[in-house]
Amino acid sequence: DTKMEVTLKIDGMTCNSCVRTIEENMSSCNGVYQVKVSLEKMDGKFVYDPRKISPEEIRVAVYDMGFDATIDC
Amino acid sequence: MASKTYEYNVEMTCEGCSGAVDRILKRASDKVSDFEIDLPGKKVFVTTTVSSDEVLEMLKKSGKATKFVGEKSS
Repeated sequence: DTKMEVTLKIDGMTCNSCVRTIEENMSSCNGVYQVKVSLEKMDGKFVYDPRKISPEEIRVAVYDMGFDATIDC
Repeated sequence: MASKTYEYNVEMTCEGCSGAVDRILKRASDKVSDFEIDLPGKKVFVTTTVSSDEVLEMLKKSGKATKFVGEKSS
């Protein structure tokens, strides 16, 4: 199956509990296989199945969590 | 409809978490007329005209454990 990776710039995280919250919640998202969020670099790498979810949907999901997310192309 | 103030317990552990809740409620300014976040007490007071369930759903999106406590007797 095809897997793609997208990196999002994520603003508004201040500590590891925010990182854990995002990683836990996003990994339970349908179509998201892997989530690696970095507090220092203020970004998040997502491995996903493009047939199930799109980068924009991932961005909106993080945005809905109250963080500012932009696709880092 | 008269707006009411509802009290919620939200498992916020740090500034970032309360910041996330703050942004969620600010974005819902059409539904939420006023709110107050008590980080140490892990409480959020929301003044709104919509149902407490709708606000509960919004707060749950933060990924934090959220419980509806009740209506604040204003």
